[in-house]
Amino acid sequence: MKRFLDFARHHLITVYMVGALAYLFVPVVVVMLFSFNDNRGRFNFTWRGFTLKHWANAFEVPNLFDSLVKSFQIAFLSALVATILGTLIALALVRYRFKGRSTTNFLLFLPMATPEVVLGSSLLALFLTLSIPTGFGTIVVAHILFNISYVVVTVKARLSGFDRHLEEAAMDLYANEWTTFVKVTLPMILPGVFAAFMLGFALSFDDFIITNFNSGGTVTFPLYIWGAARVGVPPQVNVFGTAIFVITVSIMLLTVTLQRRSDANVA
Amino acid sequence: MTTDTATPPAATPPGAGQTAGAASSKSKRKRVPYLLLLPGGIWLIMFYVIPMIQLAGVSLQEGSFQTGYRFTWAWGNYSAAFTAFGGHFIRSILYAGTATLLALLIGYPLAYAIAFRGGRYRNLLLILVLMPFLTPFLLRTLAWKVILADSGWVVGVLQSIGIIAENGRLLATGWAGVAGITYNFLAFMTLPIYVSLEKIDPSLIEAAQDLYSNSRTAFRKVTLPLSRPGIVAGTLLTLIPASGDFVNAQLLGNPQQLMIGNVIDSRFLRIVDYPTAAALSFTLMVAILLIVIPYVRAVGTEDLVA
Amino acid sequence: MPDATTGEEARGSHEPLAVELSGVTKRFGDVVAVDDITLEIGENRFYALLGPSGCGKTTTLRMIGGFEDPDAGSIRLHGEDVTGLKPYQRPVNTVFQSYALFPHLNVFENVAFGLRRKKVPSAEVTERVGEMLDLVQLVGMDKRKPGQLSGGQRQRVALARALINHPRVLLLDEPLGALDLKLRKEMQIELKRIQNEVGITFVHVTHDQEEAMTMADTIAVMNEGRIERLGGPTEIYEDPRSAFVAGFLGASNLMQGDRKGNAATLQDGTTIALPEAGAAGVDGDIQLGVRPEKMSLQAPEAAPPGANSILATVVDVSFIGVSTHYLLRTSWGADLVVVVQNLDDERHAAGSSVAATWLPQHTFVVS
Repeated sequence: MKRFLDFARHHLITVYMVGALAYLFVPVVVVMLFSFNDNRGRFNFTWRGFTLKHWANAFEVPNLFDSLVKSFQIAFLSALVATILGTLIALALVRYRFKGRSTTNFLLFLPMATPEVVLGSSLLALFLTLSIPTGFGTIVVAHILFNISYVVVTVKARLSGFDRHLEEAAMDLYANEWTTFVKVTLPMILPGVFAAFMLGFALSFDDFIITNFNSGGTVTFPLYIWGAARVGVPPQVNVFGTAIFVITVSIMLLTVTLQRRSDANVA
Repeated sequence: MTTDTATPPAATPPGAGQTAGAASSKSKRKRVPYLLLLPGGIWLIMFYVIPMIQLAGVSLQEGSFQTGYRFTWAWGNYSAAFTAFGGHFIRSILYAGTATLLALLIGYPLAYAIAFRGGRYRNLLLILVLMPFLTPFLLRTLAWKVILADSGWVVGVLQSIGIIAENGRLLATGWAGVAGITYNFLAFMTLPIYVSLEKIDPSLIEAAQDLYSNSRTAFRKVTLPLSRPGIVAGTLLTLIPASGDFVNAQLLGNPQQLMIGNVIDSRFLRIVDYPTAAALSFTLMVAILLIVIPYVRAVGTEDLVA
Repeated sequence: MPDATTGEEARGSHEPLAVELSGVTKRFGDVVAVDDITLEIGENRFYALLGPSGCGKTTTLRMIGGFEDPDAGSIRLHGEDVTGLKPYQRPVNTVFQSYALFPHLNVFENVAFGLRRKKVPSAEVTERVGEMLDLVQLVGMDKRKPGQLSGGQRQRVALARALINHPRVLLLDEPLGALDLKLRKEMQIELKRIQNEVGITFVHVTHDQEEAMTMADTIAVMNEGRIERLGGPTEIYEDPRSAFVAGFLGASNLMQGDRKGNAATLQDGTTIALPEAGAAGVDGDIQLGVRPEKMSLQAPEAAPPGANSILATVVDVSFIGVSTHYLLRTSWGADLVVVVQNLDDERHAAGSSVAATWLPQHTFVVS
């Protein structure tokens, strides 16, 4: 009896896991499926049969591809700047004891503890007061701001597991501070820095709420979807959503496989 | 002997200038962290701290969009805003709290299953949990609109087994909004919990069992307390964005029962009533900090930011 | 190779010293890690800094290497004042406790790291790395990453990486601490061989007294930021001079006595003869000691004339194989340990009365 219960419990959690994962994937499957939906009219909510026509004329919806390009540019720029600024902060926090450490930590925590509406509206309040027209530039400024904290967290995690003696060894072997940073510190933290960049890119690319406050006339991909949601989202949006998903998943799996292979080599 | 190839140290006259040199290198070292902090710190101050002060300032202005706004310590904005939208506030906290609780109930067992039963598939399972979040947030939310549609099979099944009434619906109800929030922030709950569970040395649980705990007691006395940092981080990462979210309420929820985020959004961008919008926004910030800070005190920002 | 150091000899009149510390002090907050140390290390020495953890030995080494700046005092390497210079400006190299091998570089590039910084031509780098890998017996490993090496191999890479730069002084921070016992013994002999071969001063930090005695020709025993005793292994073992050193280096039996000239009286009235040498000292209360293996046991009536002798009761006997350890208790309640080689002599049973005897020259006096 006890053995039966153990067996049931063991499998219950596996069943649960499969169920939870299915729940997570249902909307993704719907998004993919409806990129093939032969819809009638403006709305794409009910299944009317299979078609490839939306994939064939994916670029024919006005402004849709432009919005994707905009989002890509914003994500790249803001992730790049935030990664540089955040990595510098992370280096300071992990490597040095200084006055104002806990203030810095608190200041970094605050943007993460602020709801996006508040973050977005406070920036809008600033831009309004200073009469700065909102648009591409203000979106980038806002995205850099919310990305910095996430970059610091990601890079810090990598830096704390880093043996300080490695830098001392480089200095002992005639590398000055700069060479030590370039030859030892940077290669060691690069995976963390890269992960931070990717995270920042993803957060920026997918951000809607903060962007909505500071976009002016600029339309990003999420803003396009939001605008279209009232009048009917064209299935081409699902096409691009599916394409983004497939491409990023492929990159992710490729990275993991490569990493596993290099780990296997090391072990 | 081969000492001749060693680089001779930069020749310094013995005794002279040594202390001065050491002192200047020391003060230089003290400056380094501040130089590293400077660019990012300026960004945070210019675009976080100053906007917050600005927001507070706008919330105390008087006037209209046509005539312009003037700063007049108009505290009345706050009482007016709260009289008009207090219900939205309470609903937001309630919805966000419910969604956070649901996400915890779904996310903890999931994280536990991956951490302790995932075996060599742990990383793969973790990627599977993250994968859905690679489709755009708004598209995922719109997909739920399809799934929960009145003519959809989910509603059909629930109607036929009598969980919802014959003409009952899921879409455009408060529950659909809560479900949307729960779904959209589930990864933020699951990941931190997984990280803290994964760190637990399995021999600790064996030690608890060796010391006369059954599996349930071992979970209660060892696993659960050790995963607390993950629970704290996960609930915060869910509760904070959930409390200000207006997308789920707008797309899935009942249009008569919107959240505070919807009000701030429309007051700022469509009705252009800046003082009220700013007052609501600032109040939300303060409310969140009042909830978060005691929570964080117990854990420490260092742990959360680390 | 006494003629290699021409520059320094022109300055100093006497033999150049590899390392000179004078009045070096280092504080961390309120803790004084190194307290006014003055130390001279000669050319071509194998020098050990020995002490318990927290005694300041690693801090001393790190100050020689340039990883810490002293709060007071100066450091000279071959006559040249290097205080305040960066690690990369000093002609010394370090073998780190955890080896600190660069995980993203293979063995070859790890060993070549210093040469590359000094812009040594690539052909020469290849040649010298090859020679060095040969010296540390790692031929054929050059393409491996540190993660693919065993502990002993990593140790050798760390050594090669430091030695290839021909440092004037090689600093070793507990280099064998991470190895298992058998490997440690092998590496001790190996390190001594390499030091002989390259003829560089090694400064070696360790908490393992056996390791220090095996390898070093000079040992500085450190305690609480100061040097307690300095000398050759035999010298400091036979005459530790302080209770701390006597206890830290091997075991010893310490007794209270009342000194009068060349003899001391114990609590039960027994008179102990002190050694002729080093007999200078004031009369009065002293502590005297004798190493357990210097003592032998006899029946009380069989004590040989001229030897020091204490009457005691056997409390416990442990047979160790190569020797037998006796725990004795004196009439005034002090414990003595005596180690006797197993030479087919009669054994003394627990409870029996014995005389523990030793030669006067084996007695030492501690402060």
